[in-house]
Amino acid sequence: MRLLVLLWSLGPLLWQLRTSLLRPEALVAPLLDGNPWTLANYQLVLSGDPPFWRYLTNSTLVGLATTLLTLLLAVPCAYGLQRLRGPLRWGVGLALVAAAMFPTVLLFLALLEIARSIGLANNLLALSLPYTALSLPLAVLLLRAAFADLPRELEDAARLEGLGLGQRLRFVLLPLLGPALASTAILVFLASWNEYAIALTWISRSDLLTLPIAIARIGGGSVFTIPYGAFAAATVLGSLPLLLLVLLAQRSIVSGLTRGAVKG
Amino acid sequence: MKSRTVSLLLMLPALLLLAAVFLYPLLRYGWLSLQASSVLTGLVPVPNGGANWGRLLDDARFWTDAAQTLRFALCSVALELLGGLALALLLHRPLRGRGPLRALTLLPWALPTTVMALGWRWIFNDPHGPLNAAIRSLGGSSYGFLSTPSTTWFFVVLADVWKTMPFVALLLLAGLQTIPADLEEALRLEGACRLQILRRLTLPLLVPYLSLALLFRLAQALGVFDLIQVLTGGGPAGSTESLALYAYLNAMRFLDFGYASTVMLATFLLLLVSLGGGWLLLRRHGLERTTEQAT
Repeated sequence: MRLLVLLWSLGPLLWQLRTSLLRPEALVAPLLDGNPWTLANYQLVLSGDPPFWRYLTNSTLVGLATTLLTLLLAVPCAYGLQRLRGPLRWGVGLALVAAAMFPTVLLFLALLEIARSIGLANNLLALSLPYTALSLPLAVLLLRAAFADLPRELEDAARLEGLGLGQRLRFVLLPLLGPALASTAILVFLASWNEYAIALTWISRSDLLTLPIAIARIGGGSVFTIPYGAFAAATVLGSLPLLLLVLLAQRSIVSGLTRGAVKG
Repeated sequence: MKSRTVSLLLMLPALLLLAAVFLYPLLRYGWLSLQASSVLTGLVPVPNGGANWGRLLDDARFWTDAAQTLRFALCSVALELLGGLALALLLHRPLRGRGPLRALTLLPWALPTTVMALGWRWIFNDPHGPLNAAIRSLGGSSYGFLSTPSTTWFFVVLADVWKTMPFVALLLLAGLQTIPADLEEALRLEGACRLQILRRLTLPLLVPYLSLALLFRLAQALGVFDLIQVLTGGGPAGSTESLALYAYLNAMRFLDFGYASTVMLATFLLLLVSLGGGWLLLRRHGLERTTEQAT
């Protein structure tokens, strides 16, 4: 059973790994002679112009900026929302759920207009603005649930000690939110790393592409001309960081989504 | 300052950004959908008295795409819920190596859609992909997985299920973890078998999580874009084109921003109607089930 699940989840990826290590001729027909295995596909991808690692650093940069900005905005918002009473609290909560479900591709045209009119197109860091907005709903919902878990007396005590709002947040509440912040950060980073429609329309300079767009471009030709070996190598290289992240942060991701689902 | 004012001020920056990114586009599409703004007008918006909406009603391609999108969404969400439930039940059991197993099953969800869309394109390749190689070695002849208009949509569904099932499983796993183990134990002592426990205890308690997964995935699937753009480009013969892809083509290829806005807004409205329908259905059946269970 376990084996079956692993085969289903990893099979397509392992096939990519195999493809990436084969000589192009070996993909089409069994070789009659010689060794079919090669690293040439990786050399090709890494020596491209721009080299493949550029896309990885681009995506990482946007991901980190987005994560930072999202947390900066989401933490105060979640705290405020948690303290708020009355119909507004309910209304904002509902709006956040609706926004979290919204298929983001429908936003790209209006966002592209904005980007063009204020000169944000082809600006890698500017991408993190819409990304932050796309991540905010989930981040606020997760963090609000985490704030709700903290005992109310804790903050009251800190207030009696004379700590201001900023100090209470920084020295009392946030240290206790460590796990929630970590899992929120990872989910935000993943979402921004994988976003497609906005990056596709905002970025046209090839040295600024994020990974998903770059990979789609590599495969952009017709079905018959796709250099599958090179593409598979790109897939493997692009998957490795995520594989590491998921393996290391599995607990965080699961607990983050769990908490979100229980409270949301 | 009053505590309420402080709360609102704390929320303001985030809410402003959200309004700019979510609300503004919808308003903008509402306005643009009443304008002609295409190459013909030099990309300058000119009011055209609702002609876009009239065109939409007569646009066979839009309605075909709407039906195709709905078919894709319903099939893939149904399969994801079934598969996700099975996967969640498996991952919930105390198995050796559960942590790494959870991480590895989660991997498809964590990868960029485009990456694996191209991966699937190779797997489905006719005639060199592994699937066709396997079919041939069993004595069959190659099948055009991505070039047969009547069946290609199903293989797109398959690729989507592969990618998003882990996410559904994770949500349901969260639900499973809220079910007290002693309840299950009590039923088992009463002599209930596994299937009965699943029907009488697990499923009813999972209803909120199933509903959440259903609504969330339905919304996402109705807006499917990157998977289809990369896997099939909407083909063969437009048989997998989704509404979002059609809207994208109107904007970026046909450069008709007025009509593209109309299509996007119409897609959004269809989405609202579908989700509303789903929600009502869930409330009727889901709540009845839960109350039945409680009494």
